[in-house]
Amino acid sequence: MAEPFPVVDLDTDALQAAAAMAKRNLPGIVVRGEDGKPHTVIPGSQVLNFVIPQYVQDDPHLARVYDEEASDAFARKLASVTVRDVLPKKKDLEDLPVVDGDATGIEVAAVMARMHSPIAVVCEGEGGEILGVIRMGKLMSHLLPEHGQEG
Amino acid sequence: MQTAAVVAVFLAAYVLIATERIHRVAAALGGAALMVLLGAVDEETAFFSTETGVDWNVIFLLLGMMILVSVIRQTGAFEFLAIWAAKKARGRPLRIMVMLVLITAIASALLDNVTTVLLIAPVTLLVCDRLDAPPVPFLIAEAMASNIGGAATLIGDPPNIIIGSRAGLSFNDFLVHMGPIVVVLLGVFLLLCKFLFARGLEYDAAKAAALMKLDEKEAIRDKRLLVTSGGVLALVIIGFVTHSLTGLAPSMVALLGAGAAVALSPKLEPAEYLEEVEWPTLVFFAGLFVMVGGLVHVGVIGDMGKWLTSAIGSHWLAGASAMLWVSGLLSGIVDNIPYVATMAPLVVDLTKGADPTQAHAMWWSLTLGADLGGNATAVGASANVVVLGIAARNGHPISFWRFTKYGLIVAPITIAIAWGYVWLRYFALA
Repeated sequence: MAEPFPVVDLDTDALQAAAAMAKRNLPGIVVRGEDGKPHTVIPGSQVLNFVIPQYVQDDPHLARVYDEEASDAFARKLASVTVRDVLPKKKDLEDLPVVDGDATGIEVAAVMARMHSPIAVVCEGEGGEILGVIRMGKLMSHLLPEHGQEG
Repeated sequence: MQTAAVVAVFLAAYVLIATERIHRVAAALGGAALMVLLGAVDEETAFFSTETGVDWNVIFLLLGMMILVSVIRQTGAFEFLAIWAAKKARGRPLRIMVMLVLITAIASALLDNVTTVLLIAPVTLLVCDRLDAPPVPFLIAEAMASNIGGAATLIGDPPNIIIGSRAGLSFNDFLVHMGPIVVVLLGVFLLLCKFLFARGLEYDAAKAAALMKLDEKEAIRDKRLLVTSGGVLALVIIGFVTHSLTGLAPSMVALLGAGAAVALSPKLEPAEYLEEVEWPTLVFFAGLFVMVGGLVHVGVIGDMGKWLTSAIGSHWLAGASAMLWVSGLLSGIVDNIPYVATMAPLVVDLTKGADPTQAHAMWWSLTLGADLGGNATAVGASANVVVLGIAARNGHPISFWRFTKYGLIVAPITIAIAWGYVWLRYFALA
């Protein structure tokens, strides 16, 4: 199920990482740590979380008072920061949606469900080299092959 | 023996509330339960005594206003007002601060302080983001304005509700006695804002232009609800003001208003119109009343009242001065609600048989001290704590000392002016 996937570093420009997600229609992106091992996975929602001010997230009605130009201003927030700045707080990084190369579909599903992650990173052994990622769509077609074909 | 045990329980509960070692509701309810077990309180004194029991007028006035506020909150009126004000100020930071301080103070007089800052702070962050201005000075100024503005009316601050009920003071009494000094204090506070917060606030025409593009009309979520709930709030205020004509107690007026607001908002679910009801606060009040009732029942409050009466003698000015400054000092350190709940029966005893003007001086000194003292530190008032929380969540943390640095200037100055008012109005010109 694993497939090649773009990987970014902690010091990659956040706008570049977001553009990669948008261009290839990715649900998230894998972040590689300084040791070359997977550091975390940033889902697209985390990028939005960084871009949209907390007070607007708390009261979504406030979003209505902005004009269209404001969305450009929000996006510009990504231009001056790196992927490291966009990451959630440290405590959220403790667990990673990482599975072994020989993990079963249910194992992958369990990890993704527990971490609320749209992708799982496949590594060679524990903390080993990144082999690729499994996307939610791929996993669902694997778990529900007949329904997947119908769709 | 019983008296000593009751005092020990009361002090222990008070220390737990002040230090927040356990949640204040648990401390108040635990204290109340021990009062029952010690025989200082029974169901008759706890539930049905107007002297020593739960003050249902306070509880239901708070409940009614909380429900009304829950409905008004759904309209988006505050967001509209704040953005409208910022645009009227043409994006000039200091003018915006003045407008937001005035809106916060007036809203705090009509609603409660915490709700007001909860509604104003997010829009302030939005406006400051647009102007690229530091939001912290605005947020601190708003918290302080809510504590000053809330002092003006019976419903503006929970301690006022307790004082109004225990002292038999009406909405109009508060307006007549507290209104003028609060207006003066607000004027002084606005001047202080200029010196305390204006540094670093610079006008930028391009950023002001970005602010002017915000569309405040989009903030209104439900125009019909705005009209109906605004009308109900206006009727509730009229109900408070005309209390002497209608004979309706403030608690009844608030409950009628809450009922009308809910009835006129059929689209709202119970979870929405009960959103702002702070059940823990209501239970905390009930526990506190039972605890203080225990002290009254065993005679501690009566004895302290007699002692204070003999200590003050005919020196009412000294008594009022001490009441004002000590209340201000203690309210900066501990929650002013338990402080006022304890002091109110004491002041009732103290002012029995006193000249009405001198009795007023004592009550207004307690009110002014408790309300204005809350500005002294970051934990002195609930509104301060709420603003600090919102600021931190939005990436603008305000440390205890940063707030307190300003509070230790604002609180003593406003209390000193309030002292001058008490002296002038109730002694020099009485």
